[in-house]
Amino acid sequence: MTRGWLGALGALLGVAVLFAIPRLTGNEYLLALGISFATFSVLSGGLNLVYGYTGLLSFAQVGFFGIGGYTAALLVTERAWSLWAGAVAGGVLAALVGLVIGYSSLRLSRHSFAIVSLSFALLCMIVARDWVSLTRGAMGIPGLPVPGLDLPGWRWRLSRPADFYYLLLGFAVMAQALFYVVVSSRLGRAMRAIKLNEPLAQSHGIDPLRYKLLAIALSAWLAGIAGGFFVFYLTIVDPSIFDFYYTETMLIMVIIGGPGSFWGVLGSSAVLAALPDLLRFTTDLRMVLYGAVLIAAMLIFPGGVGGWLDRRRLRRWRRPSLTTP
Amino acid sequence: MSSLLEVRGLTKRYLGLTAVDGVTFDVERGSVVGLIGPNGSGKSTIVDCVSGFQPAHGGQWMLDGRALTGWPAHRIAGAGLTRTFQTVRAYDELSLLDNLCVATQESDGVGWLASLARTRRLRSTETAAAARARGLLATVGLAEYAGAPAAMLSYGQRKLLAIAAAMMARPRLVVLDEPVAGVNPTMVRRIEDVIHQFNAEGVTLIIVEHNVDFIMSLCGRVIVLEAGRKIADGPPSLIRNDPRVLAAYLGQSRATEISHERG
Repeated sequence: MTRGWLGALGALLGVAVLFAIPRLTGNEYLLALGISFATFSVLSGGLNLVYGYTGLLSFAQVGFFGIGGYTAALLVTERAWSLWAGAVAGGVLAALVGLVIGYSSLRLSRHSFAIVSLSFALLCMIVARDWVSLTRGAMGIPGLPVPGLDLPGWRWRLSRPADFYYLLLGFAVMAQALFYVVVSSRLGRAMRAIKLNEPLAQSHGIDPLRYKLLAIALSAWLAGIAGGFFVFYLTIVDPSIFDFYYTETMLIMVIIGGPGSFWGVLGSSAVLAALPDLLRFTTDLRMVLYGAVLIAAMLIFPGGVGGWLDRRRLRRWRRPSLTTP
Repeated sequence: MSSLLEVRGLTKRYLGLTAVDGVTFDVERGSVVGLIGPNGSGKSTIVDCVSGFQPAHGGQWMLDGRALTGWPAHRIAGAGLTRTFQTVRAYDELSLLDNLCVATQESDGVGWLASLARTRRLRSTETAAAARARGLLATVGLAEYAGAPAAMLSYGQRKLLAIAAAMMARPRLVVLDEPVAGVNPTMVRRIEDVIHQFNAEGVTLIIVEHNVDFIMSLCGRVIVLEAGRKIADGPPSLIRNDPRVLAAYLGQSRATEISHERG
């Protein structure tokens, strides 16, 4: 119990420090990194829920992210919706699409889901590029307006990077809290059971499809909202939002942090959020470097940080049994 | 009073091969029934069909008068028919306690929202589940490892854990698929004791085994299969001398010799 309270206090302190950063420094580069961390933490947290906890390899996250981005951008510019409503609508659409591809492919197998999710992500980019009448094609929708967020008694115009930093950080904190509530509840326990041994879970009365669809829909919904906010920070949405490189970054975050480890993935997202920017000087080599990092992580650090902690836990249990006669 | 489980004309084909061919049998309430037969006689296929892990091509089966034909595995488990697996299965990364508690969370009637909100009802349900899990772990002799991950257990201990997990949701009928295959003799006796104890508490069991001695000492009734058909059904004393059973296990000529020796 005391450990739980200390953890909660630590988390609260961490959030407070993150929120204080714009007041302490006007450094825009640091804020950009913070925005990148907040956004990626939602994407990798969702991938961790789907892949790390439920055991479904998914390449679809980036598709949900982009669907949210496009939906919010179009609703705000074409229909004069507020950013709140646009982003939430983007999240809902992403979740619905997630349910459709999940329901149709998971009835076959988890491998078919992996293939379908990959095809879906590639299809998203093609649709964004070629359905010109809706998405305006390869040029995308540039010059997204400065959005205003109407809160009761306060009109907030998001004109500075610091505003987006607060928005995305606040959203990320809520998203992470939601992920944490799910994975630490007995729903998370059932998801892990499905990943660890699906037939056994079925023999225990668990319907794997319901939990898989829950994981997919929740991660898609949050990724869609994150996309909606993120494109207004960029002030543009174009087909490059579906870039495979986002998928790769998410995968690296989850694999190095440890699939199925909430804090491991959150920590690795914080460290690796700086990676895209550090590697900006070499766009061509970036993918190669990512691949090398992934292979090295698999060889040296299987199971990531979370896996390493698990192995330590197992050793602690095995030690006394060795000494008993 | 009708039987707990009624299986009528169960049939299952794999491509051209008929693995189970119109098998019919009943299981009485409170009994321990053995299911034996040579390799490939269809024992595991029957288990897989009845528990919903393989679709059957023909036949019906009912638990307590309720038709389960065509139901998916998780619903059959929810209806009170659970099973263990020939290849021993456990959730390696979960603690023994969670291995058991997860096996009852779908049947306790607490929904997703209550689970997320951690309502009082959820907490009391989970506390009760943990208490039952500790009791089951004590029965199978694993109580001291309640907090340890299942990955640290030996092969025999994992079989015990699987049996305890199958008992967790208070099923009416439990099917144990080869509970003592590959287990050392000390552990076999332990598993036998555990089965006796659960049966004494009112659980009905079907046991699929290759170990004929184990079945003969444990079961009040034995069903013998050969090539997908039922060839004998009765108490162990009759099964032991049934010429068709001897022929199935030993071959026709040796079986004839034995029945002559025994007169």
